[in-house]
Amino acid sequence: MSDRGQTAAAAIRPQVQGLRATHLSAIVNSATNLISGLFEWFGNLGIFLWQVVRAAVTPPFEWRELIKQLDEVGSKSLPLVALAGSAIGIVISLEARYSLGRFGAKSMFPATLVYSVIQVMGPIITGLVVSGRVGAGIGAELASMKVTEQIDAIEASAINPYRLLAATRILACILMLPLLTLAADACGLFTGWFAQAIVEPLSFHKFIESGFRGATFSAFLPPTFKTAVYGFIIGLIACFQGMRTRGGAEGVGRAATNSVVLASLFLILADVVLVKFILVVFP
Amino acid sequence: MSRVARLGAFIFVTLTILAAGVFVIGSKAYLFRSTYQLKTQFDNVAGLAEGAAVEVGGVHSGTVHGIALPHRPGEKVTVTIDLDKVTHEIIKQDSIASIETEGVLGNQYLAISFGSSGQADVRDGDVIQSKPPLELSELLMKTSNILDSSKRAIENATQATAHLNSVSAKIDAGQGSVGALINDRALFTNLQRSTSTLSETMVQAQAGVTDFHENMEALKHNFLLSGYFKRRGYQDTAELTNNEVERLPTGAPVKTFTYPPKQLFNSKDSAKIQNQKSLNDSGDYLASGQFGIAVVVVSGGSEGDTRKEMELSEARAMVIRDYLVEHFGFDDSHLKTLGLGKQLEATSEGGMGTIKIMIFPVGSEVPPIKQAPAGVASKVPADKGLEASETAGPRQ
Repeated sequence: MSDRGQTAAAAIRPQVQGLRATHLSAIVNSATNLISGLFEWFGNLGIFLWQVVRAAVTPPFEWRELIKQLDEVGSKSLPLVALAGSAIGIVISLEARYSLGRFGAKSMFPATLVYSVIQVMGPIITGLVVSGRVGAGIGAELASMKVTEQIDAIEASAINPYRLLAATRILACILMLPLLTLAADACGLFTGWFAQAIVEPLSFHKFIESGFRGATFSAFLPPTFKTAVYGFIIGLIACFQGMRTRGGAEGVGRAATNSVVLASLFLILADVVLVKFILVVFP
Repeated sequence: MSRVARLGAFIFVTLTILAAGVFVIGSKAYLFRSTYQLKTQFDNVAGLAEGAAVEVGGVHSGTVHGIALPHRPGEKVTVTIDLDKVTHEIIKQDSIASIETEGVLGNQYLAISFGSSGQADVRDGDVIQSKPPLELSELLMKTSNILDSSKRAIENATQATAHLNSVSAKIDAGQGSVGALINDRALFTNLQRSTSTLSETMVQAQAGVTDFHENMEALKHNFLLSGYFKRRGYQDTAELTNNEVERLPTGAPVKTFTYPPKQLFNSKDSAKIQNQKSLNDSGDYLASGQFGIAVVVVSGGSEGDTRKEMELSEARAMVIRDYLVEHFGFDDSHLKTLGLGKQLEATSEGGMGTIKIMIFPVGSEVPPIKQAPAGVASKVPADKGLEASETAGPRQ
């Protein structure tokens, strides 16, 4: 019995080794592919950006399309952004009241709310909500134009699709994001104050007065205008994903999903750098 | 609503929010008010930050514009302050800047005190005085020192209490003298007995003193010694001041009899009276009873020992009074004596002083009786005092 067992094991061993080798090479291969794919993606993104910038700075400018996109990105996102900002204001208000009360620092409530909303929550929530709504919209729109060869048609009629489609959308995102952030901040502060005021009386004037005590422009303007970078990321990635789509309806869906996922991810990663940058440049 | 109008409304609303935010923060930083700048210097700004509030009289009136480290060691940190123009009338050259903390762990802010009304106004860019900030660590160190010394004090007190405790325990147990006194009935009885014995001894001593006094009195009248007293003119020094007044009564005398001492006394240092007849005129006047009070005033000469002269003048006044009282009938309580002692500006012939009997009208005030000098005549009252204390116990 032991004899048979040994021979069987001896017979299997080289097979197992061979299997291990194939698996290892497959893993290495897929890792290499992934990394090269990542670099390829970044390379294409760079080329795409270069084409968009070159198209954007040379006339003629597509004013009508720009205004349409400003409306699409800005005005039409306002209800969503305002709602998200209001919700965040209430959430911070409830949390701050509880945790500040534990430290006996209730008088710090207005300042806590103002700083949380203006510096952190307002910009990031606006960025994520817009990346969801606008990023998906742009990605899907451009992808469907691509798969139905509309972009080729535009190109054939001697109109630069980068200028007409990409540059206007990216610019609209860059311009509208800070304004949407301001709207989110205002809604967040108001609902935050309201949530506090229905529990214990606090006049709005007193709230603003003590909330902004010691506030500086460096606490207000850089966090608000850094969202222009968010807008740039959302617009760029959504347009890029949309315009490089291949395949039919499946490709459109993939483009929309990738736009949102990648835009949100890069937006948060960019925030890490931006916060550090703001702290260094605007002490 | 058209697309453009919707976009315009959106941009308008959000830019209004931006403007509101800028305005709120800007008004905190005094960007839209006319301001002036002051500087002040600290060794240590204790965490004061740029943009921190500046309060004048507790009212937020400006911001910290900048904080600059010195260029060399030994110099101070310069704090530049933007202040609202309205504070220009309050802040003077002697205003003092200090760094304060909101609550215990709150933000740092700069407080500027009001200036004095007499001081000169500050100009843009002036440096005002500062007060070093109270640092929490320093405060804690001081508190810690206080706690240390309190601890030592409490330890001492505890030790003292322990000692006291042991002493009380010993007393309670009857150890030591105090313990014996408190706990030992025999000792107490002993002490009581000694006290009563002491009391008896005192009474006997008193009797002895009285006897001795009487013996002395008898001795004065003994023929061997009586010559001395006769020459002196009087027996008992203690009686010299019995009828002496402190001063003359106020008001003018109705009649004054003046006698030269030479005429009345046989020698310069004696109070033995001679020539008594010459006193008869005053004696007759007193006997008529037409007076309120009469005083025998004797002044001493301008030479001799002050103490002896005082005694001599008092003695002469007493001797004259005794003669008048013995030989003429009137109310002797109205005749007083007054010895003036040594008189440097003695007016009489030979510098022996004068003798006057001054008669004051009815209704004149009676001056208080002179208190006997401590060394001479406390004998009688002292005796009485001792007897009183023995018989009556507590007197008050």
